[in-house]
Amino acid sequence: MKNSSSYTGIAYLFLAPALILMGIFTFWPVGYNAYLAFNDYSISDGVATWNNFAHFKYIYEEELFHQALKNSLLYLLIVPVIQVAALLVAKLVNNKLPGMTFFRAAFYIPVITAVSIAGVVWINVYKYDGILTWFLQMIHVIPQGSEGQVDWLGNPDIALYGVMLFTFWKGIGWFMVLYLAGLQAIPKEVEEAAILDGANVFQRFWKITVPMVKPTILLCTLMSTIAALKTFQEVIILTKGQADTYTSLFYVYDQAFRNYNFGRAAAAGLVVTFFCMILAAIQFRFLGEKK
Amino acid sequence: MAMGKQLQTALTLTGQYAGLVAFAIFTTFPFLWALSVALSADPSNTWLFPRSFWPTDLSLMWFKRVFDEMPFMVYMKNSTLITIESIIGVVFISILAGYPLARLRFPGRNFIFVAILATMMLPSEVAIIPNFITLKHLGLLDTHLGVIVPNFAAAFGIFLMKQAFEAVPQDLVDAARVDGATEMQILWRVMVPVSGPSIAALGIFSLVNAWNDYLWPSIVISTRDKLPLAVGVFNDLTGPFATSYSMVMAAIVMTVIPVLIFFAFTQRFFIGGMDGAVK
Repeated sequence: MKNSSSYTGIAYLFLAPALILMGIFTFWPVGYNAYLAFNDYSISDGVATWNNFAHFKYIYEEELFHQALKNSLLYLLIVPVIQVAALLVAKLVNNKLPGMTFFRAAFYIPVITAVSIAGVVWINVYKYDGILTWFLQMIHVIPQGSEGQVDWLGNPDIALYGVMLFTFWKGIGWFMVLYLAGLQAIPKEVEEAAILDGANVFQRFWKITVPMVKPTILLCTLMSTIAALKTFQEVIILTKGQADTYTSLFYVYDQAFRNYNFGRAAAAGLVVTFFCMILAAIQFRFLGEKK
Repeated sequence: MAMGKQLQTALTLTGQYAGLVAFAIFTTFPFLWALSVALSADPSNTWLFPRSFWPTDLSLMWFKRVFDEMPFMVYMKNSTLITIESIIGVVFISILAGYPLARLRFPGRNFIFVAILATMMLPSEVAIIPNFITLKHLGLLDTHLGVIVPNFAAAFGIFLMKQAFEAVPQDLVDAARVDGATEMQILWRVMVPVSGPSIAALGIFSLVNAWNDYLWPSIVISTRDKLPLAVGVFNDLTGPFATSYSMVMAAIVMTVIPVLIFFAFTQRFFIGGMDGAVK
C-alpha cells in the first residue's frame, strides 16, 4: 500500500484543470472585483487609480442604490414561501400514484425554460388585459371591465411582487426535485411506525419529514436566499428596472454596462457579496447541524 | 368501518390529484396559452380568455414564418454546439476534481474543498465585469469558447461527483489497486462506470444551464449569427417581431420543445441522480 503523501502529486494533477479555471474565472474575479471597487477604472486603457473610497461614499449616499438594496432585501420574502411550497409539492409528487411522471415533468417545465423566453410569455400574462387580469376578474378579486384592469408590471406598488411571482413559478420545480431526492432517502418504516402510533398528517410532517430533510432544507434555503439577493435577470427581462423593481445586481449591471463605471459597479457588487456572506453565515448558524 | 376507511382513502386520493392538477395548471398555463395562440391562424381571439386556450382556425403558418423570417436554425445550431461543449467540459472537469476530493488523502484537501464550496455562496454575477475584462485580454469576446469556458469548473458539479464517488465501495477500489491499476484507470474504469446516475444528473443539469443561459452569452456575443436560442430569439421577439403575438408565441413554443423532449426521456435519471446532491 502506498502511503498518503504519494497521492499528493496525482491529486493535484486531477484537481489542476478545475483549480486553474476556477482561479481564472471565479477566485480572481472576486479579488479583482474587490480591487476595482476601490479604484477608478478606465475602460479604454485599462488603468485603475485609487480613489479613497469614492465609490462607497457615492453609493452610500445615492438614493437609487438604497432603493435597489431595499428591493433586494424585500425579495427575500420569496424564500420561505418558495421553500414551504416546494417541500409540500415534493411531498405530493413523492406518492406512487398513476401519472406521477407526467406531473413531475409538468412542474419542471418552467425550470427547463430559458428565463428570457419564459419572461416574454409572462410579460403577456401581466398585460393589463392579460391572463392574470382575466383570472382575478373571474374569481371576483378585482372589479370587472376596464376599471379592474391593472398594468401589473408598470405599477410601482406591485411590480416587484409580479417579478417575485415569476421567480416563484420559475424556481419551485428545481427545489421540488432537490426535496424529492431528500424525501426518497427517508426509510419507509419510520413513517409507517408513526402512522401506527396514531400520528396525524401534520404531526408526521413536522415531526418526521421536516427533521429528516433538514440538510436539504438548509441547502435549498441557502440557494434560494442567494438567488433572491442576486435577482436580476428576471428584472431586466420583465420590467427593465422600471416601476421600482431596481434590484442591487441590476444596479451593478446598469453601472457597468450602461454607465461603463466599472469601479462603482464593483463597489456595489462587493456590498451584495457581503450581504450574501452574512446571510449564509446566519443560516448555517440556525439551520445547520453540527457534524 | 371498512366503508369509512375506503371513503377516506378515496377522499385523500381525490385531494392529492386536485392538488397535482391545480399545480400543473399553474406551471403550464403560460405555455398552453402560447401553444394555442401559435396554432391559431386567426389571432383575433388571443386576448379573449378562456376562449384563447384553444386554437382558432388550426394552422402551422406561424411556425413556418418563424423559420422563414428568423435565423431560427442558426440559433438552434449555436445552442446545440454550446450545450454539447459545455456538458463535455463540465462533466470531465467535475469527474477529475471530484475523485481526489472523495477518495485520496493529501495535504490541503479540506482547504480546497471548502474553498470550492464557498464559491456556491458568492453571487456569480459579481464576476461578470472581471471575466469580461479577462475575455477581452484573451481575445475570446464574441466567441463560443468565451461563453462556455468560464462555466466549466462549477462547484455544484464537483460537489455532486465527490458525493457520488464517496458512495463507491472501497472493495472495488482495493481490487483494482491489487491488480496494479493506476489512479487514472481506477477513476475511468471503476468509479465512472458505477456512478452513471450521478453523471447523468450532472449532464442534464449542465444541459439545462447551458441551453438556457441568457445573461452571459448576451454580454459575450455581439454577432447575431453566433447567438444561442435563449438570446437570439429573445432579441428578435422583443425587437423586430414584437408586433406579431402569434409569431412570438410560435417561436417560444419552438424554443421550449427541444428541451422538453429531451427532459421527457431523461427525467428518471435526473431525479434519481440528484440524490447525491443532498445527502
